[in-house]
Amino acid sequence: MDNFWQLLLLDNLSIFIGLFAVLFTLLTAVYSFDFMRGRKNIFPYYLYILLTLIASLGVIFSSNLLVLIVFWGFLGLLLYLLISFGENKNTPATAKKALIIIGGSDAIMLLGLAMVWKITGTLEISKIKIALDSNTAIAAYLCLACGAFAKAGLMPFHTWIPDTAQDAPAPVTAYLPASLDKLLGIYLLCRLSLNLFIMNPAMNTLLMVMGSITIVAAVMMALVQHDLKRLLGYHAVSQVGYMVLGIGTGTALGIAAGLFHMLNHAIYKSCLFFSAGNVEQKAGTTDLDKLGGYAKFMPVTFITFLIASLAISGIPPFNGFASKWMIYQAIVDSAKTGNTLWMIYLAAAMFGSALTLASFMKLINAVFLGQPADKTNASIKQGEAPLPMLAVGIVLAALCVLFGVFAYQLPLKNYIIPSVGPGLVFPGVWNSPLATILLLSAIIIGLLFYWLGVNKKPRETRNFIGGEILEDHPQMRVSGTEFYNTISDAPPFKNIYRLAEEKNFDLYESGKKIVFWLNGILNRMHNGIISNYLAWCLLGMIILFYALSIK
Amino acid sequence: MIAAANIAPLFIVISLGGAFLISLLEKRMKHFPYAMGLIVTGMLLILSLAAVKAVGLYRILIYNVGSWKPPLGITLVIDGFSAFMLVTVNLIAFLIAIYSGPYMERYTSKGKFFALFLLMVAGMNGVVITGDIFNLFVFLEIASIASFALVAFGTGRHELEASFKYTLMSAVGSLFILLGIGLLYSFTSTLNMADIACALLQKGKSNISLMVAVMFIMGFGLKAALVPFHGWLPDAHPSAPAPISAMLSGVLIKSLGVYTLCRLFFNVLGMDAKFSAVLMFLGALSMTVGVFSAIGQWDFKRLLAYHSISQIGYVFLGIGLGTPLGILGGLFHLFNHSVFKSLLFLNSGAVEYAAKTRDLRKMGGLAQKMPVTGATALVASMSIAGIPPLNGFWSKLIIIVALVDAGRFGYAFLAVLVSIMTLASFAKVMKYAFGGEFNTNLGDIKEVPGLMRLSMTILAAICVIGGILGFAGAREIFLGKAGGVLQEGINHSLMILGGIK
Repeated sequence: MDNFWQLLLLDNLSIFIGLFAVLFTLLTAVYSFDFMRGRKNIFPYYLYILLTLIASLGVIFSSNLLVLIVFWGFLGLLLYLLISFGENKNTPATAKKALIIIGGSDAIMLLGLAMVWKITGTLEISKIKIALDSNTAIAAYLCLACGAFAKAGLMPFHTWIPDTAQDAPAPVTAYLPASLDKLLGIYLLCRLSLNLFIMNPAMNTLLMVMGSITIVAAVMMALVQHDLKRLLGYHAVSQVGYMVLGIGTGTALGIAAGLFHMLNHAIYKSCLFFSAGNVEQKAGTTDLDKLGGYAKFMPVTFITFLIASLAISGIPPFNGFASKWMIYQAIVDSAKTGNTLWMIYLAAAMFGSALTLASFMKLINAVFLGQPADKTNASIKQGEAPLPMLAVGIVLAALCVLFGVFAYQLPLKNYIIPSVGPGLVFPGVWNSPLATILLLSAIIIGLLFYWLGVNKKPRETRNFIGGEILEDHPQMRVSGTEFYNTISDAPPFKNIYRLAEEKNFDLYESGKKIVFWLNGILNRMHNGIISNYLAWCLLGMIILFYALSIK
Repeated sequence: MIAAANIAPLFIVISLGGAFLISLLEKRMKHFPYAMGLIVTGMLLILSLAAVKAVGLYRILIYNVGSWKPPLGITLVIDGFSAFMLVTVNLIAFLIAIYSGPYMERYTSKGKFFALFLLMVAGMNGVVITGDIFNLFVFLEIASIASFALVAFGTGRHELEASFKYTLMSAVGSLFILLGIGLLYSFTSTLNMADIACALLQKGKSNISLMVAVMFIMGFGLKAALVPFHGWLPDAHPSAPAPISAMLSGVLIKSLGVYTLCRLFFNVLGMDAKFSAVLMFLGALSMTVGVFSAIGQWDFKRLLAYHSISQIGYVFLGIGLGTPLGILGGLFHLFNHSVFKSLLFLNSGAVEYAAKTRDLRKMGGLAQKMPVTGATALVASMSIAGIPPLNGFWSKLIIIVALVDAGRFGYAFLAVLVSIMTLASFAKVMKYAFGGEFNTNLGDIKEVPGLMRLSMTILAAICVIGGILGFAGAREIFLGKAGGVLQEGINHSLMILGGIK
């Protein structure tokens, strides 16, 4: 029995991550029960969900790096199988892309594993402690981190996430790229940075730069999307930037902030995807130009979505603010230890946060407020989503509020701080419960003034543009998404967006071009003419003879 | 002589006898060829497992044919490496024989098919257990000639053209092998491999052995489809009937090419740093050229054939490295590749059987109609792509760890890159053939007959549980002994010689 316990790595960090992995699996299963109802072949779906949980727990609790990587690689296959349950036209291509990116990064991890073995001669996580002082050690860290980056979706390994978000079923996206893969990716990054390697400033800078670029670039891409789930997918990339930025500071506070943000992100992003799934099921589409006015039909979904949006945008008192605030503190704090670029990181983080809010304003307007895209269309199924699906959203939204208001009392004290260990000092002051009370009272006082001041009955009129009443002209519609076209049309961004739309920044697509170029050359060489083949043999023999005969 | 050594000639006698009986009786009894094929390959499988057990007890089994003492007579030698190859060859042959019964219904002459099939098996078994270099050449030709005929079995335009190319190039390779053997004989005056090794050791390095080495690398490298001697393979392997493609890619190139090269270089000529560098370079070259050629193919079987070139590269990279871990990884990968590549060819055969096409672009959604084929193809694809916990992952891992451990970072990186490309090209296969919406142009499609499903399922099961061979107990019995033979190098031959005299 003692041997069995040695196989497990049980510390506060792994227990904390494992606990939430189980929670998200439960929520996904409950949600899927209604969402996936009526599809054929549903048994394998739940089997894969269960296997994903088992493999994730294997990753989290294994004390041996090899075992960890075996479970990790298996997760890539499960992700592929789960994405394949999507019913879009592009789903097989998306599943293929995700498999190649995730599987490819897993293969690179093997190289890292081999290097760790060469350096230390052991694969026991508790016995490895490598200083980043040789090229091999640096390469080993980068190779292993590649796996964590691809899983979590840090740029430039992120491209599978927006595609997956668009083409996979909503619960799968909420389960894997939005919550579980983030937990695992950031867990591995933490293990690498905290336990396996001794970080140095250069490596930390690299992490912080990658994090900052990811925050800003992904949120810029999110701004111009026209698909609800794809837009959310880009945010799932952008938020990873914050976590990596936090971990990259290298301080206990920063790592705690990264972990806290990871947890918060998993909560609000899965809430967003579940809510988007509710809308998708009713509307049959996730195209923003075809949605609108759903707040009326789906008030509960709207409220859960709203809370999660505010949380991701970093509005106090929700949980997203609490963790972002910690990240800002960590960045400012790291200036003391010689981090000269802290202003840039801080600016990137805050700028990203503002743009996140902007893009969620667009979403909320286009999906829930605004006018229905097709007013004459009576086919919109009225009414809310089934109760279990709503319940999942409510639980997650409640967590958003609880973890925000009682940030220190609940998650930080119980899970995060024990994971990082002692030595955590908060330089900035943020008493969340007090702030919440103040905020709430401000809102209440505001409302009181509003009621007192505007006691007279206000004049009400219908929406109009240019004197024309909107509702009389069904073809005239303000969806709100067009406002954001000004960004993509602005001079410096226009070309960048065009290049991005052509997938020039996509590692997968660029790789594909190179591979097929090489393939074309080789195909022309294999022309089936036998004298050519025999000539190669002769040439090969001559070279061999030369190579073997030189001393 | 150890009594257990008496099993050695059985491998050749049973398979040759089976082929003979089939040609004799195929007209009389309709089901006789299939039954005989199953019985013979089944017996060979049991015998080869017995050989593993016997090697575990006695290390080396030596049988003198006709009780003629070597170096005059022919010896048959079963050591760890031979036993390992015997199990690989006969396991795959047995499973493919099961599959061939229903599959070959479409062709006219089942009797000739199974007769040639058993002839090929006899040749491969003979190559693996013989201790005599000229005898090795004879068995090599038996297997090769049977395979020429089998590649042309469909007698269509493409089959005949492919078979012609294969025959021609293979003949060129065989001639160089024969020339090499002739040179060795003139130099050492003996044909017994152990004796040759001993003689070469006494005479020291010479230009003759260098010349012979080049000829052997070319000749056996051609049989193993090492780049740049691989030109025949992308045509020959896809053109054969699917079970034969599976045999060719799964075991023929390994027993005629990889086994012979390793045996001759490690145990006869003696491995040195230069040979090691050459084998590793050729391995890496094959790996890269193979995978980059494969990824753009639309013919299912042609894609698989290029991957055989690529995977053989891994085997050579591992074995060529020469460290215990490298040899272990290379041999393990050899076994794994036999399993998953045969399975993939059988899958392609099943698709061709049901959908009547090999063009990936004309398929789509086949997993819905053919769940067993789809699932086994997924297992095999993920296995060749190195997804844990399937067997291909473990052997690639061992090879990569061995390369890094020896400080060969460049080769290790290349191995990883090729692994990613392999994954990409099999993701493509899964997407076009089995994923997505069912392509209604294909008409009414049914899953293949039960025996074909059985064979594919067993191979897939081996892919899943094959990973345990990487762990201590199983590794020691099966792979450890084979690796040990290669590590002993020339000394192993001296030991055999001691056993003979």
